[in-house]
Amino acid sequence: MNKAFMGLVKKEFIQVFRDKLMVWIIFALPIIQLLLLGYVANLEVKDISLDVYDFDQTQLSRDFVRSTEAGKYFTPTTPEHSVLDLDLSFREGSREMALVIPEDFSEKLTTNEPVTVGLIADGTDANSASLGSGYMAQIARKFSQDIYGLERPLKVRNRVLYNPEAESVHYMIPAIVATLLTIVTVLLTSMAIVREKETGTLEQILVTPISKGTFLAGKVIPFAVLGMIELTLALAFGVLWFKVPFVGSALLLLGLSALYLLTTLGIGLFFSTVTSTQQQAMFFAWFFLIFALLTSGFFTPIANMPQWTQYITYLNPMRYFMEITRGIMMKGAGFVDLLPQTISLIIIGVVVFGFSSIRFSKRTG
Amino acid sequence: MSFVTVTGLTKSYGAVRAVDDFSFEVKQGEIYALVGPDGAGKTTIIRTLCNLVRSDKGSAFIDGLDVSRQFEAIKSRLGYMPQTFSLYPDLSVEENLRFYGGIHGVVGKRFRDKTEVLYGFSNLKPFASRRAGKLSGGMKQKLALSCALIYDPKLLLLDEPTTGVDPLSRQQFWKILLDLKRQGVTIIVSTPYMDEVARADRACFVFEGRKLVEDRSETLSNRFDGRLYFLDMAPSVKLVDGLNDLPGIDARRFGSGLHLYLAREDAIENYSAMLTALGVDTTDVKEIRPNLEDCFIQFMEQTS
Repeated sequence: MNKAFMGLVKKEFIQVFRDKLMVWIIFALPIIQLLLLGYVANLEVKDISLDVYDFDQTQLSRDFVRSTEAGKYFTPTTPEHSVLDLDLSFREGSREMALVIPEDFSEKLTTNEPVTVGLIADGTDANSASLGSGYMAQIARKFSQDIYGLERPLKVRNRVLYNPEAESVHYMIPAIVATLLTIVTVLLTSMAIVREKETGTLEQILVTPISKGTFLAGKVIPFAVLGMIELTLALAFGVLWFKVPFVGSALLLLGLSALYLLTTLGIGLFFSTVTSTQQQAMFFAWFFLIFALLTSGFFTPIANMPQWTQYITYLNPMRYFMEITRGIMMKGAGFVDLLPQTISLIIIGVVVFGFSSIRFSKRTG
Repeated sequence: MSFVTVTGLTKSYGAVRAVDDFSFEVKQGEIYALVGPDGAGKTTIIRTLCNLVRSDKGSAFIDGLDVSRQFEAIKSRLGYMPQTFSLYPDLSVEENLRFYGGIHGVVGKRFRDKTEVLYGFSNLKPFASRRAGKLSGGMKQKLALSCALIYDPKLLLLDEPTTGVDPLSRQQFWKILLDLKRQGVTIIVSTPYMDEVARADRACFVFEGRKLVEDRSETLSNRFDGRLYFLDMAPSVKLVDGLNDLPGIDARRFGSGLHLYLAREDAIENYSAMLTALGVDTTDVKEIRPNLEDCFIQFMEQTS
């Protein structure tokens, strides 16, 4: 039985490494993805092009415009269209925001009356729009404090925890690593099992003395190993190339990753029981990945989601794993800190893998 | 005692009855052929013996063990070769053999010795490192058979092993089967080719899920009831229709001519005038011995 298992594992590795394209998909593409996503999935916003409509045209209004340049958040520009058509430059894509200074700007300021400036943002880039609005509010507050000369000026202290430079790449890399591990295991597992259905080798094996359990183990463990290698590779790349700090225990991360693999391999196995071709399996895997990504907190913080969506995220194993990778790498979270996530992963893993393997055994006669 | 006993096997797929109350027995060391056209139910019968299909009714026993209940114990005695090529196309010939050997615990020296024997009759040794997917049809079938033989099964279930294989490879394949039979291996083989029936010890005609007739191969064609004539004349539609309009004659295209089926007590001389009227030169008509195909067609028509 042991020999049979080793035979299965050996065969699986031969098959993976024989397919040159597969080797690329497993090892090279994730690194390329990591590189691309590391640079592209950048949540910081700088150099927002800002059309300035200054109807006041005084020293004070010009000072205000100059103050927006501080911190390199905005780059004031001269509008190409009249204020009535200011959305034209948004549509052309040449500007991201517009600032409208009313003609009574300096008059009201000097007489201590409240004054409002208009800020128009291109909402198609929601992230830049909301961050830009925030920056502008801060700039305006500081400017008015300087002018009004409040005795107790409102101090805005901006402090970012765990990621002091607010480097989004530090935040993204752990998430990308989690995503890669999920893609490799869900996709490859489901496709590898369905391929045995397509070639008819699954039936051939069912007629041999090998048990279904041994077959499943021989099918799933190679991909777990590949997943762990991939994870280590991606982590090393993140730490060495992107200089992402790794505060916590690498051993803990590897251990919890192995636990996470139970859920992804289980999902891959489940897809293989409901599909009969590799294309179908691939389709299912991608559908799952998009769902998992969107509800994982990768792009949108879970706390910002509508309440009912937040409930859905509890079912998503990737959500917990993302918290684990970010927690361990950025905060140095320990096992006790991650106990809720660990327990959730155990529950999901046992249920999903258990259900899938029972389904697999029943389906295959 | 029979090595394989199938009794009252019935299996339906939806409204289609693939196998209908099918029974047969195969003795140890016997080659038993299931012969019939596509869709006759041969594959379902073989897959039931492999426990890949669960029958609605009936039972199947192999070496005294119930297929549906004791299949685990049967597995080690069984070699199965499905209709479609079912090995790993991306693995080499040797890797496939090694994999199936490993599953059955045939490793190390035992594996090397066994592969030598298998290469001996399959002539696949020069292709040992070639990927299975790149083999020719005949070589693929020989490799599939080799994989099924790597652990010396007592029973071989072969589902159309020679379909789509060139005549020379078919000859070689059957030679291997006869060698195995001599070693005491029991073989159940399905085939659409009538000429392969003669190689089997016994054969059974399968049609629409039912057993038409079963007999020793050499006596099977004696089951033909009636007289058969060969008409050496181009079989035009007009001629075939004209002949079939004659009561007592059943005409069928056969190669470049026609086969005329008459009842046992009838004779072609009774139709001379009518044949001449159809433009047939009666000297072109000769009585012949019916072959298996004639026999099969006759049984098929009696059933439907």
